[in-house]
Amino acid sequence: MGTGRKTIKHIIILLIILIVLIIVAASIGAAKVNLKDTSLIIASFIPGVNHFINTARLDPQDIVIISQIRLPRIFLSIFVGIALASAGVIFQGLFRNPMADPFVIGVSAGAAFGATIGLVFITGVGLLGISTTTIFALLGALVTTFLVYSISSARGKVSVTTLLLSGIALSAMLSAMTSFIMIFRGHDLAKIIFWIMGGLTAASWYKFNIITPMVVVLIIISGFYMRDLNIISLGDERAAQLGVQTDRVKKILLIMASLIAALAVSVSGIIGFVGLITPHILRLIVGPDHKILYPTSAVAGGIVLLMSDTLARTILMPREIPVGIITSIVGVPFFLYLLVKSKKQVF
Amino acid sequence: MLSVKNLDFSYNQNKVLDNISFSVEEGSFISILGPNGSGKSTLVNLISKVLRGYEGKIEVGGRDIKELDSKDIAKMVAVVPQYTNPGFSFTVSEMVMMGRYPYISRFGTEGKEDFDAVSGAMEKTKILPFANRKFTELSGGEKQRVIMAQALAQDSSILLLDEPTSHLDINFQIEFMNLFLSLNKKEKKTIIGIFHDVNLAIQNSKKIMLLKEGRIFNFGSGEDIINRESIKSVFGSDVFVGRNPVTKKLYVSPVFNPGVDRGISSQTANKYLRVHIIGGGGAASPVMNLLHSSGYTVSCGVINTLDTDLDTAQMLGIPYVTEAPFSPISFGSQNKNIEFIKSSDVIILPAVEFGPGNFSNLVSVKEAISSGKKVIVIDEKNIRERDHTGGKAEKLYRRIIEDGAIVVKSINQVLRRL
Repeated sequence: MGTGRKTIKHIIILLIILIVLIIVAASIGAAKVNLKDTSLIIASFIPGVNHFINTARLDPQDIVIISQIRLPRIFLSIFVGIALASAGVIFQGLFRNPMADPFVIGVSAGAAFGATIGLVFITGVGLLGISTTTIFALLGALVTTFLVYSISSARGKVSVTTLLLSGIALSAMLSAMTSFIMIFRGHDLAKIIFWIMGGLTAASWYKFNIITPMVVVLIIISGFYMRDLNIISLGDERAAQLGVQTDRVKKILLIMASLIAALAVSVSGIIGFVGLITPHILRLIVGPDHKILYPTSAVAGGIVLLMSDTLARTILMPREIPVGIITSIVGVPFFLYLLVKSKKQVF
Repeated sequence: MLSVKNLDFSYNQNKVLDNISFSVEEGSFISILGPNGSGKSTLVNLISKVLRGYEGKIEVGGRDIKELDSKDIAKMVAVVPQYTNPGFSFTVSEMVMMGRYPYISRFGTEGKEDFDAVSGAMEKTKILPFANRKFTELSGGEKQRVIMAQALAQDSSILLLDEPTSHLDINFQIEFMNLFLSLNKKEKKTIIGIFHDVNLAIQNSKKIMLLKEGRIFNFGSGEDIINRESIKSVFGSDVFVGRNPVTKKLYVSPVFNPGVDRGISSQTANKYLRVHIIGGGGAASPVMNLLHSSGYTVSCGVINTLDTDLDTAQMLGIPYVTEAPFSPISFGSQNKNIEFIKSSDVIILPAVEFGPGNFSNLVSVKEAISSGKKVIVIDEKNIRERDHTGGKAEKLYRRIIEDGAIVVKSINQVLRRL
């Protein structure tokens, strides 16, 4: 009982972890800035707090590095992590399937195909300062989602099985088409592979400002359907008996989660396992109630991706590793450890 | 409370429900019986608005359900399904709270009323002690109690039961039926149930609806509509319809004839062949059942009241001649028996025990064979062991056989010799 209080307690703990991580992540990199200075620099950008901070003593170069290079990347990674974990929770709930991830209905393959076309065929600066790759990735993700969705919906009903199958089928086709382009455009191969492996190298406040508001709005709207999602996991028929408008709610959540995943993919490439594993880890900690699971997984997703991205850009300095590699190599053993240790039945 | 008018429903061009009309008053307890595929579950799903796209009209509490949204319906009609399999391991109280969905606004949270309704429902179903356990770790019966509590949390006036106990052991079936009865009586809940167990249904409900191939075959009190013929035409199976000696309520039990070589199938049996069976001590029951279920016109006599054979005859609806309990057969009864014998084509003498009281039955058989009637003797047990008259019965029995009665060693051979 006391769902609300329990949720708030968990979220406060997670937010404290996140804030500490932001400071740590902002302080490390090629140019080392100590934690105290980093905290002061970050605080100087918070409205209301900045009046109390004297920035005169701080190195102006550090301020630029942190505010223009590290913070945009940190915040973009947090929001991509939030988006992936939220979409993961929704898809796992809708499909009642532990294998579901944000890319389950073909968003990733669509985005990769779109990004490839953008990288290979379109030269130009893009729209409103966003690269063509990002725009094409978003288009690819949206068109694929729409196709998969249209194939599997008949007479106002969406068949989950058809959705999964057509998602897998379309993904296979799009991946093949991406490979086909890669073969014939050998000199773009590295760019394409690097994009597909996922990364946040090209982060900027501009990108952040365009993507984040949309993601936040979509995540909040979906948040109001978590009671419904709980009940839908009892099966469509039972959910309808309990008063849930199953078809409508499923449609809304499918569209929301697909959009969230598409937005995330378009700025970050395909970052695997965050959206799959974060909800599982949180389910072990807070239980299966989506009213708690959804917000906590979202914040945890931000933590996981920020940690992974910080590792990705620092462990082999000055080289960067695509963050998708880190999330899989570090995330999967951790998850397996939890699975073995807890022995709890989560599904 | 509930009224259904001219309801038609088709699934992929197959008519599942065909012109269903009925109404249910507040506080009734109604059972819907019918074989698989007769449309029972479809009917429940239509009333609870889980299925749409029907023709006709369904009114709940005087309002057309087409004008009500899912939440409104869920406040008036709660369904208890056969199984529920949640995708995640929710706790028991989380599961029960789901029943409050129609009362909680999208932007709100659970209030005091909701918690009260949940604990009330959990108390009635006796699941408070395991409120914090995982649903997935419970036994089948406990799970079903949780689902029942979920439905009760909906606080509806109508409870639709879709075979809620069909996979449970008898103790749970009884426990649930008592709960349904008490909800019906104390809280005036209207209960409409599909029950797997015909007896559970007819013993507890006020009215029965028999569904056959999507149509209402009959709708009325169990006393009026449950009988051998109606069960036969709805379910296609042969049953006894008897009366429970304690509760005096009807009960249905299946007729089994294992290992019997029917010789001729029941379809080709000569229904006009009249067979009279000598009863006593339950010896006639198997052959009565066999011949009756094979389609012959059967009668039985003389049997004492309280004899098993009399119960059998009553269950099967066979005419019989009876005598007061533990009394010798009177002349009146014997004469009646002889009249039955005269109007029969074949007389069957099962391995009845003979004493001074029923010796006259044997005399009647002797008269029958002397007058040229066909007599079949089922000589399953040596007559010497069955004779409690000091040799009188044995002597007469041997004379019946000498006079040309057909002797068979077991009832399996009777049909072939008719």
